[in-house]
Amino acid sequence: MAQGHHIIPKKTLFSVFATLIGLTILTVITAKGIDFGVLEIPVALAIASTKAVLVLVFFMALKYDSRVNALTITVGVVFVGIFIIFTMLDTVFRGDLDNVSSITISQQEREEEALRAREPDAEQLRVAPGDFMDGDDDAPDDES
Amino acid sequence: MSSATATHDGGSASAAGSSEAPNYLNHQKTIRSWLLTLDHKRIGVLYAVTLATVFLIAGLLAIAVRLELFMPGETIMSNDAYNQTFTMHGIMMVFLFIVPSIPAILGNFVLPMQLGAKDVAFPRLNLASWYVYMIGGALVVTALLVGSVDTGWTFYTPYSSSGSMSVLYMTLAIFIAGFSSIFTGINFIVTIHKMRAPGLTWNRLPLFVWGLYATSIVMVLATPVIGITMILLFLERLLQIGIFDPALGGDPILFQHFFWFYSHPAVYIMILPAFGIISELMTAFSRQRIFGYKAIALSSVAIALLGFLVWGHHMFVSGQSAISGIVFSLITYLIGIPSGIKIFNWVATMYKGSVWLQTPMLYALSFLFLFTIGGLTGIMVGVLAVDVHLHDTYYVVGHFHYVMMGGTVIALLGGMHYWWPKITGKMYNETLGKIGAILIFIGFNATFFPQLILGARGMPRRYATYVEEFTFLHQVSTISSLVLAAGLFLVLGYMVHSLFWGEKATSNPWGAATLEWTMATSPPDPHNFTRTPIVTRGPYDFHLADEVFGPRHVGDGAGDGATSEPALPRETEST
Amino acid sequence: MATQTQETQDVQAHGDGHGHHERLQHHFLSLDQQFGSAKLGMWLFLVTELLLFSGMFVAFAVYLQWYPEAFAVGAEALDWRMGLANTIVLLASSLTVALSIHFIQKGNTKAMITSLSATLGLAVVFLVIKYFEYTDKFANGIFPGEAFNPTGSYAFLDVPNAVQYFSIYYVMTGIHAVHVIVGMGLFAWLIYRALRNHFSPEWYTPVELGGLYWHFVDLIWIFLFPLLYLI
Repeated sequence: MAQGHHIIPKKTLFSVFATLIGLTILTVITAKGIDFGVLEIPVALAIASTKAVLVLVFFMALKYDSRVNALTITVGVVFVGIFIIFTMLDTVFRGDLDNVSSITISQQEREEEALRAREPDAEQLRVAPGDFMDGDDDAPDDES
Repeated sequence: MSSATATHDGGSASAAGSSEAPNYLNHQKTIRSWLLTLDHKRIGVLYAVTLATVFLIAGLLAIAVRLELFMPGETIMSNDAYNQTFTMHGIMMVFLFIVPSIPAILGNFVLPMQLGAKDVAFPRLNLASWYVYMIGGALVVTALLVGSVDTGWTFYTPYSSSGSMSVLYMTLAIFIAGFSSIFTGINFIVTIHKMRAPGLTWNRLPLFVWGLYATSIVMVLATPVIGITMILLFLERLLQIGIFDPALGGDPILFQHFFWFYSHPAVYIMILPAFGIISELMTAFSRQRIFGYKAIALSSVAIALLGFLVWGHHMFVSGQSAISGIVFSLITYLIGIPSGIKIFNWVATMYKGSVWLQTPMLYALSFLFLFTIGGLTGIMVGVLAVDVHLHDTYYVVGHFHYVMMGGTVIALLGGMHYWWPKITGKMYNETLGKIGAILIFIGFNATFFPQLILGARGMPRRYATYVEEFTFLHQVSTISSLVLAAGLFLVLGYMVHSLFWGEKATSNPWGAATLEWTMATSPPDPHNFTRTPIVTRGPYDFHLADEVFGPRHVGDGAGDGATSEPALPRETEST
Repeated sequence: MATQTQETQDVQAHGDGHGHHERLQHHFLSLDQQFGSAKLGMWLFLVTELLLFSGMFVAFAVYLQWYPEAFAVGAEALDWRMGLANTIVLLASSLTVALSIHFIQKGNTKAMITSLSATLGLAVVFLVIKYFEYTDKFANGIFPGEAFNPTGSYAFLDVPNAVQYFSIYYVMTGIHAVHVIVGMGLFAWLIYRALRNHFSPEWYTPVELGGLYWHFVDLIWIFLFPLLYLI
């Protein structure tokens, strides 16, 4: 019985539990009470990660277990990171070429519609000769 | 647990009366004993029969696609029917055939034997994977019969999330079939870690095992993502949750990220075990130790991990950010390195070996040619600027058929021929085997090489019709596809023939040196080995095989065809 | 017959002296190997679970980065006190699971059954709280997807892309809740087997694996709570 049969003392389990509750309260305080600005999400994630590590190491007994199990879950976490980072490499920089937009087509259409509703009639804004040269059939009539 | 033991014991007892030594095929004969079997070998056979059926159906759909493309305009079916036909061909081939193919058939059969184990770590999970697969397959057939799925196998939103409701069946089917992959992957990883025979260190694992190990890692890491993708697509179609549908503020490109995070690594699920088979064939039929064992083993794992960093190369023209296009393109080139390492090592293995051109070796050589073409065209479409032109053309179709069929299916055929004597205990007709291999090689190239040319000239994929200029190449492709089909039917024919009238196989007809050949009878004992193997040498040390396992025992399955004379002890060379 | 003899030989050759335990499956050499295999298999399964949830975390991250205001408004609508209560409930249930393994390792089946029952009870509490949260939202027209039509005290949610927040919220917590329900079934089964005295300090694999599963459900919630309720 070389591995996995280490009996974790009750004292350890209860102190880990107490720490977890403490960290939970801490995360509520930092989120609701203190304004970290842009750091709000990183702080919350840091606290959550600490809690997760405590659960993994003590409750799930990775500390006393075969290293392969720890490696397994680590690889899993790394690939979740890859999934998030490489997807956001697209979504954060979406539209870094001029002819590509970062917002969805339907949203573009909605925004255009909103702009059109607010603007005065485009006909009335024609001033320069160039405005009349876009092949619009009505243009000559307007001028006369 | 206890029931497993009971099943096997009952079997051995009932077979005691028969004249032959009991083997896994004849120790129990009822259909129930097959459907409830926990024996990895029988599950492999169940998978073989199922997957051959799926391959037949999906292959006939491919022939239908080719026939429609024989002439421009409507040839044998309407445009709608064409869309559904290629969709079903794609879905069945990718999700139901190629992804499970090598691991589920040959992996299940060979892996525990190569490890010197009695079974995989979780036999019941193994059987469950087959049933789960059958449920998924049944749902796909339901979708085929009741509905009209015409999204292509990629299910791109918003078309899939706003079109026919039968997409729901299909997403569910793929979600369920995914579990079969996951079960197999978990089973193999644990088996390789925990069930190796005494003395079988990581450096002594056969390369097929390394290939399956790398594949299983990908299965475990990637398959759950297609699961959640299908759940989200299901909900998108059912409730319009607005995550993928642009009309509701969602992002269809996000769907492509989700889809390809699985489906690109899935390409490596398909090809990595094929690499493993080719390594086995190259060394066994060159009568030579594999060149660069560690390089081949570790490059498999490297491909498995790198394969997760390149999914964006399917999305170069999707509108993803330019920076991610550049990064994905760059990493895509890197995949060429481990793949190249393998090709060079296989060629080097043949160098100064004594190459024995049996049917499996013909398939291995076909693989070298076809996979090299598939790989190199892959690098070309991995180039950002080139892909903008070639994306969604027949060039891509040609490329992935060269990799999937020219790589995986050819390797599967090679592996089936190689392990056929072990699985069935019968030899197939060698002459017909060679004719079949050559027919398939010629038919394959003549089918898909014209598609590369068509694609480079601008023939878009997924179209039921085309301009007049493309007619000749399309007709070459269609006629050749019939040659390819004839070759495959020939294989099916002589394989089935051999089951009934084939010559009886010896325990090691190829003189290979891995455990399933040197330690087990053909077909093997229900428990694989009659004594627990103790491994003291590498998997390809042909010159050490006899001294370790001793001379041939009658009926023991021991002994080794590698050398007819007992070799002199050479302790110093065993590593 | 021959098989039996063979197995005995194997155990004698490679086992570590504790003979042929009734729980030992035929293809393993020792209980230790069997236990280690089961555990590695469970960890691999947890990795697949992690990757399953990762898809939703990716969707969350992407939409949070695109529409931070809508997500702030969405989080505002959730009651963080309920979330906090559920976090504490789940942490406590994790503790009781860990204790149940501690007890069975010491051979104390009775205490293990008590701990497992406590875990089951806490899971029920979790779902009850979740039920009140869901019904409160549904009553005010907060549904996932197209049916999203906030009314009453939640009318302030009528901003663009708040629907994405709630779609993700429902999918994430919904799949998490499914896992909680599966866990409850698991614990009911474990208690049933424990009552029939199936477990011993030598063999308690199902309890160990059930525990790992439950801790994982807890782990997911540890991340869901701050991300959904607090940001």
